[in-house]
Amino acid sequence: MPCERKPMRYGHSEGHTDVCFDDTGKYIVTCGSDGDVRIWESLDDDDPKSINVGEKAYSLALKNGKLVTAASNNTVQIHTFPEGDPDGILTRFTTNATHITYNSSGSRVAAGSSDFMVKVVEMYDSSQQKTLRGHTAPILSVTFDPKDEFLASASCDGSVAVWKIEEQTQVTSWPLLQKSNDVINAKSLCRLAWQPKAAKLLAVPVETTVQLYQRDSWAQVGTLSDDLGTQAINVVAWSPCGKFLAAGSIGGLLTVWDVESKLCVERQTHEKGYTVCGLAWHPSGGQIAYTDTEGCLGVLDGLSSSSSSSSTTTSSTMTKAPASYDDLFDDDDDRPLDEGISEGARSPAKNPGDEDDDDDLIPATGRARNRSAFLDDENSLDTGSLKQGLDKFVDDVGSAIVLPAAVAAPLRPVYDGPMPTPPQKAFQPGSTPAHLMHRFMMWNSVGIVRGYNDDQDNAIDVEFHDTAVHHAMHLTNSLGHTVADLSQEAVLLACPGTDELASKLQCLHFSSWDTNKEWMVDLPKGEDVQALCLGQGWAAAATSALMLRLFSIGGMQRELFSLPGPVVCIAGHGEQLLVVYHRGTGFDGEQALGVQLLQFGQKRRQVIHGEPLPLSRKSHLSWLGFTAEGTPCFIDSEGVVRLLNRSLGNMWTPVCNTRDNCKGKSDHYWVVGVHENPQQLRCIPCKGSRYPPTLPRPAVAVLPFKLPLCQTTTEKGQMEEQYWRSVLLHNHYGFLSSSGYEIDEEGQSQAQKEQQELLMKMFALSCKLEREFRSVELAELMTQNVVTLAIRYASRSGRMALAQRLSDLALEKANQLQGEEPQEEEEEPLQYTRRNTGYSQSSSEMGADRQHSSHRQAQEEEVDEEQGQEEHMDEGDVAESKRQGLNPFAKGTAASPEKPSPKPVSKEGRVNPFKVSSGLGRSGSAGGQNRVTNVLDSMMSSSKKPTALLSSSGSTGKLNKTPFLKPLAPRPKTKTQSTLLHMNAPKAANKKAAEEREPAVCRLKQTEAPPPASPAEDVENKKHKSGFQLWLEDNRRIILADNPDLEETDVIKEAIGRFRTLSADDRLTWTERAKGQSGDVADMKKRKRGEESRGDKNGQSEADETRQSEADETSAKKKKPLDTSTKLSAFAFNKN
Amino acid sequence: MDPSEVEFLAEKEVVKIIPNFSLDKIYLIGGDLGPFNPGLPVDVPVWLALNLKQRQKCRIVPPEWMDVEKLEEIRELERKEDTFTPVPSPYYMELTKLLLNHASDNIPKADEIRTLVKDIWDTRIAKLRLSADSFISQQEAHAKLDNLTLMEINTTRSFLLDTLNCMYKLRSNLQPGSKYISDVV
Repeated sequence: MPCERKPMRYGHSEGHTDVCFDDTGKYIVTCGSDGDVRIWESLDDDDPKSINVGEKAYSLALKNGKLVTAASNNTVQIHTFPEGDPDGILTRFTTNATHITYNSSGSRVAAGSSDFMVKVVEMYDSSQQKTLRGHTAPILSVTFDPKDEFLASASCDGSVAVWKIEEQTQVTSWPLLQKSNDVINAKSLCRLAWQPKAAKLLAVPVETTVQLYQRDSWAQVGTLSDDLGTQAINVVAWSPCGKFLAAGSIGGLLTVWDVESKLCVERQTHEKGYTVCGLAWHPSGGQIAYTDTEGCLGVLDGLSSSSSSSSTTTSSTMTKAPASYDDLFDDDDDRPLDEGISEGARSPAKNPGDEDDDDDLIPATGRARNRSAFLDDENSLDTGSLKQGLDKFVDDVGSAIVLPAAVAAPLRPVYDGPMPTPPQKAFQPGSTPAHLMHRFMMWNSVGIVRGYNDDQDNAIDVEFHDTAVHHAMHLTNSLGHTVADLSQEAVLLACPGTDELASKLQCLHFSSWDTNKEWMVDLPKGEDVQALCLGQGWAAAATSALMLRLFSIGGMQRELFSLPGPVVCIAGHGEQLLVVYHRGTGFDGEQALGVQLLQFGQKRRQVIHGEPLPLSRKSHLSWLGFTAEGTPCFIDSEGVVRLLNRSLGNMWTPVCNTRDNCKGKSDHYWVVGVHENPQQLRCIPCKGSRYPPTLPRPAVAVLPFKLPLCQTTTEKGQMEEQYWRSVLLHNHYGFLSSSGYEIDEEGQSQAQKEQQELLMKMFALSCKLEREFRSVELAELMTQNVVTLAIRYASRSGRMALAQRLSDLALEKANQLQGEEPQEEEEEPLQYTRRNTGYSQSSSEMGADRQHSSHRQAQEEEVDEEQGQEEHMDEGDVAESKRQGLNPFAKGTAASPEKPSPKPVSKEGRVNPFKVSSGLGRSGSAGGQNRVTNVLDSMMSSSKKPTALLSSSGSTGKLNKTPFLKPLAPRPKTKTQSTLLHMNAPKAANKKAAEEREPAVCRLKQTEAPPPASPAEDVENKKHKSGFQLWLEDNRRIILADNPDLEETDVIKEAIGRFRTLSADDRLTWTERAKGQSGDVADMKKRKRGEESRGDKNGQSEADETRQSEADETSAKKKKPLDTSTKLSAFAFNKN
Repeated sequence: MDPSEVEFLAEKEVVKIIPNFSLDKIYLIGGDLGPFNPGLPVDVPVWLALNLKQRQKCRIVPPEWMDVEKLEEIRELERKEDTFTPVPSPYYMELTKLLLNHASDNIPKADEIRTLVKDIWDTRIAKLRLSADSFISQQEAHAKLDNLTLMEINTTRSFLLDTLNCMYKLRSNLQPGSKYISDVV
């Protein structure tokens, strides 16, 4: 029962229209009051062929390649079909003919005219006419008896008459209709219809019913009526099998009756309720085309299922199936197939108003094509429940695949599983469909290749956006090239092979410096070029033999390789080649595409190894290419633009949906280029179609990118989107620099600045929203400089806990930075420490280190040699302490007295497990400093030294993360207190400064006291260690030789003993050596200086902080919450 | 004021061009222009657009209103209304002239557009003359005309002022002693 009512489309100007199918059912032919006859290949034909037959066309009939039309110049003309050449005038009347019809064999034409006459004319000889006179008013309609004996006519005089043709006499007449004086005033067009084949019944639309009269007896044998039909029926038409009768009414109701049972089997309403004035069955019976008085054409599809009892109709639809299946992707089909499903399923109950209005007003709508082949399956799919198990699916999958090609009718009901999608045909990204007469063969960032294929000319125009590249070219397309590509160097063209000629690849290498600017290659017989592309210095062509052939741009044949499946399209850029092919059969409208990304040039490799291409649901690929910066990118038929995210394991990230920018439902954007910097999606807006016309020359529009992040209406969402978009779209810098291209440093730094600015804004926002945890998360993404700003911001807005955490973070980052530097600069002395960094690397560090990984690997071997020794050492007693320092798990040992507050500990546990050791490391080196300076100085330097020292010795920067750095800095004492106070007892913040000072001073003392005491031993060991270690390395063998039976620990004990016996000078030299190994002194000094300046800066910011915190306290007293607007962050930026 | 001066002013209007060359931003006193990317539309003043067009460096994208359907609508409205209707651009006449003279190959249906704009212009000038006529015949002291463009005012200014002056002289001679003061448009 369900049939699909396709959306109507505009065909003619307002007024009377008529429609018929050609004999094969391939074309729908319509005529209208604009005097044109249009030949539609399908309802979606955007470019129907038009034949002008006069000022107005009243009626048309088509058979045997002869199109007969009744035009306003009172003639009945013949045109050839489908060419549309005039083929003479069949007959003339004194006024216009109102209705014409063929007999079943096509040998005669009957025409009724407004001059009350009906003429029957022989097609082969128009002089043989029979005139039927008797009506006393304009004729409304005429119809032949299929047996050619009778003719029935209806007239405005209210009568329906049956004539015997040979004798030109009226056999019978019924006064059935309302009288009127002219056709336009008649209530109904009263299109009669004689039952085909059996020829038993004559259907006469009378008011809201259809009366059936029997042949010969001319008695009324039945009435077909529909309860819902409240308005007069205009036209009736028999199905080709003669079992069904369709009727269209003035109110736009379309009804189909089963004549035998007189039951209404199908009921549809015109989507606007316009008067249906033309109705025609497809010769196969599966489709009804209808037109209305507004000039629109509509199709009811999938009527076969409504007549499942009728084997004839079913089988006829079956035979039609392959054809429609094949051309599914022929051209503009862009509708996802699911629409067919959903529409089919809900059509009976569908409200006629719910279709988008613009659909039938726009002539060039890219609309769903004939999908009758699917309908049965889709419908059964809808109703078919889940009981169709997987095993059934497996059983039937074989038949499912062959289904479209050779369907056996009985198989149908058996298979209910998912249906295979017809594979998408190969296409050239940036081209419009090949069947168009004027088309773009390629539109890319270089230029435009246009193809003309009309009567006068078969030519190709090549035009460059930048005329500096080359002047425009005009080529005659004698070979019939169908695919093209264009680059800065060459134009590549290819034509499919014919029976005689092989498929050819032609290259116009216009940038060649010699005089031969062209080369051509014949492909092996039977191999057709299906897709091609140009890169820098190479050309590629994918062929029907599942092969990809590479050529140099000069014409030399290069590599060739097999593709895993039929190619869909290929794209090239620089040294990259992107191939998309069919991975397998998709089901239920999905395509199963795979993608490969290959890189030529220096390091040839496959970057993407045939992974599935993530398309939107039920869509196909519509564009594939690279951004101008060389990032692979593709667009599917749903308009979603996806970009390869190289930093995320070559995943595809959707960056834009062009359909979001469309105003109308049938508007599209035809993409011609993607740029990452500036962020532009260059495309051509196509109103009411999917492809742009070549004339008038379309203008390029620019769409912005927009990541489909959640809640982008909120400020937070917006900034997140901006940030991640910026990050994603600046990934190409990394790629470009890694593949050896020069990059726009300025642009990169600008992008970074923008990202940091966004982070700062987000930070300020989350501060405002009291989301401190989130703020820290954001700060982790910031660079060190920006973190200092964030700290300032946090402290000014009175979030001391946050500021504290951020300062930890800032230090960590600073150390990371420094940790990286020595790794680059000093290779030799780093071996030991590098190993440790390997253990302790955080993810971010890992990322930073990645670039050094290669040279590190090279050193790994060296390291290995020494590793053995080192490991021994690690087990040694002496090394124990050092290990504690570095061991992430040795938290307990590091619980130095400086940490009375549990908070930092827990946090450290989260942020950085090594953090604990920082106290140790720092105090250790501080102890070292004690030798030369006084306590206070050591405090000061301790904040700088340890980092310098440790990093210079190559130890992981993280170790130096000292949360107490600031408090220990001696200069701003009061400030220290407040920070401390916030840290230790945040609630105390409201206490008076004087009160604060005291405990703070106490604390300060506390912190001052322990360092020399507690880690003294460690310091000694540490200091020793490096020297001792070296010495041990040298002397281990000697010790072992002396005492071969010693345990490892004993060896070290022994070694310690021996080392102590060495003279002070000797020991000193060893220490010096150790120092030298861990970084030359000059370097160290330099770094120190850097540290100091940084420290000063810190000091300054701390000073600011104090002031701020004091202010905070007062403001807190006033209960005036500090405004944490983004202004502040902006201010902070400005200041920098 | 000279018509060429009005045209000069009109040349400051912005129009879209599609350049066929590549150039970074150019910094002019009037503002920054560009960057120019081949094939990508960019907004430039008319004078530059015409200059580039003459050197075959760009295609000009006609302004949105320079479209047969829209102009027909405007023409019909202009004919229907007694008063002046708003025009699509304050320099519609000058722009039409400039663009059609120099870039008619980039403008679809250039001839029709020329005719339509001329029609609109004629209708408006006729209205202007009519109102000047009634202004004088009714001896009004002042009149208010909305939606007039600079070029239209310019066409009638010198003549109307001279005429008024002349008439004033004549009238004051006819009625010696009377202080008839005619206001000047």
